[in-house]
Amino acid sequence: MPAELVLAIFLLPFFSFAIISFVLRPFFNHRPLLSGYVTIAAIGISLVLSIWALIEVSGAPHHILQMPDYEWVVIGDTVIRIGVTVDALAVVMLIVVTSVSLMVQIYSLGYMKGDGGFCRYFAFMSLFTGSMLGLVLADNLLFLFLFWEGVGLCSYLLIGFWFHKPEAARAAMKAFLVTRLGDFGFLAAILLLYAKTGTFDIGELQNLALTGAIGGTVLTWAAIGVFSGAAGKSAQFPLHTWLPDAMEGPTPVSALIHAATMVAAGVYLVARMFPVFASSTTAITTVAIIGGFTAIFAASMGLVMNDIKRVLAYSTISQLGYMMLGLGTVGVGISTGYISLEHGLALGVAVGIFHLFTHAFFKSLLFLGAGSVSHATGTFDMREMGGLRKAMPWTFFTFLIASLSLAGIWPLAGFWSKEGILAASFHYVPVLFYLAIITVFMTAFYIFRVIFLTFGGEYRGTDQGSHGLHESPVVMLVPMVILAILAVVAGLLPINEFLGGESHSFFGALSHPLAWVSLVWAGGGIFLAYAIYGAKWLSAASLRQRFAPIHTLFSRKYWFDELYENLFLMRLLVNGIFAALHWFDDHIIDGAVNGIAGGTVAVGTVVRRLETGQLQAYGLAIFVGILAIVACVFIFS
Amino acid sequence: MNIYLLSPEISLLALALVVILLDLFMDRKWLLGVVSVVGLIVPAAFTVALWGTNQTAFGGALVVDQFSLFFKLFFLVVVALVILSSTDYAHKFAAFRGEYYAILLLATTGMMLMASTRELISIYVALELTGISLYVLTGFLKDDKSSEAGLKYLLLGAVASAVLLYGMALVFGLTGTTHLREIATAISAEGLLSSPALLMGIVLLVAGFGFKIAAVPFQMWVPDVYEGAPTPVTAYLSVASKAAGFAVILRVFYEALGPASLDWGMIFAVIAAITMTVGNVVAIAQSNIKRMLGYSSIAQAGYLMIGLAAASTTGSSALVFFLVCYAFTNLGAFIAIIAISNKIDSDQIADYSGMARRAPLLSLALALCLISLAGIPPTAGFMAKLYIFSAGIDSGLVWLVIIAVINTVIAAYYYLRVVRVIYLGAPLSEERVPSSGALRAALSFACLGVLALGIYPWMVLRIAEVAASMLLP
Amino acid sequence: MLGNFGYIGIFLLAAIGFAASTILIPVTLRFLGVVPRKPNPTKYTTYECGMETVGKSWVRFNFRYYFFALLFVVFDIQVVFLYPWAVHFNQLRLFGLVEMLAFVLILLVGFVYAWRKGVLQWK
Repeated sequence: MPAELVLAIFLLPFFSFAIISFVLRPFFNHRPLLSGYVTIAAIGISLVLSIWALIEVSGAPHHILQMPDYEWVVIGDTVIRIGVTVDALAVVMLIVVTSVSLMVQIYSLGYMKGDGGFCRYFAFMSLFTGSMLGLVLADNLLFLFLFWEGVGLCSYLLIGFWFHKPEAARAAMKAFLVTRLGDFGFLAAILLLYAKTGTFDIGELQNLALTGAIGGTVLTWAAIGVFSGAAGKSAQFPLHTWLPDAMEGPTPVSALIHAATMVAAGVYLVARMFPVFASSTTAITTVAIIGGFTAIFAASMGLVMNDIKRVLAYSTISQLGYMMLGLGTVGVGISTGYISLEHGLALGVAVGIFHLFTHAFFKSLLFLGAGSVSHATGTFDMREMGGLRKAMPWTFFTFLIASLSLAGIWPLAGFWSKEGILAASFHYVPVLFYLAIITVFMTAFYIFRVIFLTFGGEYRGTDQGSHGLHESPVVMLVPMVILAILAVVAGLLPINEFLGGESHSFFGALSHPLAWVSLVWAGGGIFLAYAIYGAKWLSAASLRQRFAPIHTLFSRKYWFDELYENLFLMRLLVNGIFAALHWFDDHIIDGAVNGIAGGTVAVGTVVRRLETGQLQAYGLAIFVGILAIVACVFIFS
Repeated sequence: MNIYLLSPEISLLALALVVILLDLFMDRKWLLGVVSVVGLIVPAAFTVALWGTNQTAFGGALVVDQFSLFFKLFFLVVVALVILSSTDYAHKFAAFRGEYYAILLLATTGMMLMASTRELISIYVALELTGISLYVLTGFLKDDKSSEAGLKYLLLGAVASAVLLYGMALVFGLTGTTHLREIATAISAEGLLSSPALLMGIVLLVAGFGFKIAAVPFQMWVPDVYEGAPTPVTAYLSVASKAAGFAVILRVFYEALGPASLDWGMIFAVIAAITMTVGNVVAIAQSNIKRMLGYSSIAQAGYLMIGLAAASTTGSSALVFFLVCYAFTNLGAFIAIIAISNKIDSDQIADYSGMARRAPLLSLALALCLISLAGIPPTAGFMAKLYIFSAGIDSGLVWLVIIAVINTVIAAYYYLRVVRVIYLGAPLSEERVPSSGALRAALSFACLGVLALGIYPWMVLRIAEVAASMLLP
Repeated sequence: MLGNFGYIGIFLLAAIGFAASTILIPVTLRFLGVVPRKPNPTKYTTYECGMETVGKSWVRFNFRYYFFALLFVVFDIQVVFLYPWAVHFNQLRLFGLVEMLAFVLILLVGFVYAWRKGVLQWK
């Protein structure tokens, strides 16, 4: 496969972004649909090229295509080369990103119809897809970081897409700031690695870590720094607070960015740097523990949310925690010697990324379903839904498939990938396995709670008469059906083996006792949801009363938002430093300037002021500064 | 002596005189800007033609090497952009357009001389030529704020000059020469390294030059002057004047005080840390965009000083590269502000609300430049920070780089706050914001530079390296 | 090299001593009674010779005086440079001539500027 075509995979969406921004939006704004078509065409070609790349890679030795790289920058003796990595991990990610993005763009044609920012929406979506594909293909940390910030920027822009809503603008800012907190660690880690090794190249860094050329504290801190970036992007505890708020963006954005691709970038990063992580016991244990804890922690909050998109958001955080758990536990297995290095490296990536692969399809489908539901009812609040099964059969059917897949029911996609993670945690870190299996129960419960509240029972909304419940247009349903098919069969595709994991036969998987354990727990969750919200054998209200403290704890999200905003931001920053600065600026700087700026004050007054007031202070500052420097120099030298 | 070595400066001076004379005898004043910009081609051509020479003139006082030529071309490009962006602003100068352009050109002549002197007295003369021109330009609007700014700048500039002269006098007194290379020889030959008087001289030189580059605690004049001066002049001050200051500092400290680099490296490192922190922290609280950019330029001076603190060739080449990136970025930001404030007649950030819908391209350009100032890829600002930080790490200044990275995160807050206001705020009116072709050309050039340097910095970096290598003994 | 500062110290002492002695000598002589004290009204006037001042010293000057003062400085400097050049004209030859022409030309531009801006008219 020619190198130019590989580059085209991620350059095409950028090209589409440029066309929309510089040609379509200024000159063809009266025909907004054009921008959608351009985006879909570009991403469609990227998908075809990605499939081609997949075929090429599966035939290549060691599943790696050799690509030329280019001399990018030369600083003295340091040469920074850039290029692309086309290996199994990259092509699987390419397929995920391009296919989900294509489906979401088609869906958006219907969902965003008539929105004033139609062109802007598709421009940002193209930009995002291009950045995400670039992130996946980048073969060095510098470029990866560049695209990493690029997707962050797009996420910011798209969460705040409806910027006239204050919540949306606020959520966008929150997402940006919280992820930036993690990125700070990531950047520090990149610089640390560069300072120690003099290279940004991921392949070289992997080798250096495996051969022990970098090790000890440096490696541990670097890996933890990288993980802090990954945790920010993938909304892992304690940087998880931005993702539920990010649901203020348009629903297709949530489906693409905050379910399938960008939030998975953190998992991808850990997988890409897996040899580095696996070489440090501390770092990989951190990954496993944070992942396992986030999985159950987020699921617990998903149990009680009333907003359908927020349930899905917590579910996403929880499932991302699962992926981290999969990577982490296999890594712990490697570092404790339960599994050979060579086998473990492939297995870890396979376990984590396989779940990422299946999750992308069923979770984006769930979001698209939620969007379809709100398209009909005009709300995301499940208390005002119900009975939509009859009005929206296609939406219901696809949503059900995706839910079963999420709950991990055999033989849907989620079952196969979740099995891998459960098996890995069972074998290498049993404590985390018990957390994971409780999470399985919670997952099945909350997603079927959504099903029964939304599609079961009778309609509880108010504006049925004016709005009229209706199925969504075909342009929205087609991508949902395609994703539903993928949510069924994605687990049966030989992706796991392709990535180096273990294969299971279709029925053979059921012979394993672990499979039955997880199926029983998932079934239990579904049954409990049915008992409470379907058949109403148990009253939700009385249960809520009996477990009031726990319910409050969950529904207030463990007070994390309050903790962050009140304690850290408000108290420390706004009240403390900002106030002091503001006072300084208001009274000292502005006070003098505003007085002068009165306009009626004659130049003479200005001069007088200058001579008696500030200027002397400035001059004094210069001399005090000189004296201070002199003092320091003579004291310390 | 070869007079041809001075041809860029001479032709630029001639251009300034031609502009003054044209202004006196011609009624079509708009031609003045055109003549100024087109005329810059002559000194630029001379500069390019001289590339590769390495000769001295006036008994070694002036040196024409790739370092000075690089800076000369840099100043010419900057002044061209400033003049282009002034076309929308010049009506505020009423009858004094000719003087405005001429003084701008004279200031540039001074800066070009600053970059190519290798002798303390010539440095001082060039510095004053630049300084006096800039004092006049700062007070050019003749309203209260502008006059105040001009006067403050003049008085504090005089103080700084005095401090600088004390420093030069001490160095001269110790070494008996004003030639930079000979100073270096004298310092090592006579074992002056541990002399307290030399340290004192270095500190005074740092203070005197620190005023030019607006390093804390010699930055007090910046916010007032930036706010009061005409916006194109502010742009010019924040970019060219600062760059000239750094050019001289590189020359003096690398060529003359190279043997004492341990001492001044540490001084610059500490000042850099304080400067970037103060600049960023105070910038957060600003509500006037010109003041905010004033503090931001203080912070950027802090980042730039990492290159000085590194006291290595990598450091100086990273510094030179940072200057180029910073020039494009800051000029772009100011040019966009000129266009917008021309229409809305306000520099308050709050008044920029929803500007993206009133002036989509200007807003995009401003946002790009702010993102570059924040150091987010794929812009010039990111590359510049990357190189200067890695130079810092190479010299073992990990603590300084960590402070700088923390500062970058803080800075992102206030830069992006403006971007948010522009894109997410509700527009205050539906009126479009017009801009002239000249201004748009200047702005596009600056933005292209920001992107080009962010994506493919290799070529400029190469040239910066060649320029910086000239400073080696 | 540091010893060179010794000379500066000596000069400094001499300078201070000279200034101090010019003030101290009359005072000392007066103290010793060497100088006779014979006051009369003429001795107490502001100027022993010349006109008595009329009015306050805080009067406004016409700013055109400053213009002329500035122009005077310009031509003064020109003469300061022209003299040594003229004295060494034979050694400096053509190069000196060209340089001086350039110098005069630059000042001429300033003069033309002043003329066109109407500074030379006393309105």
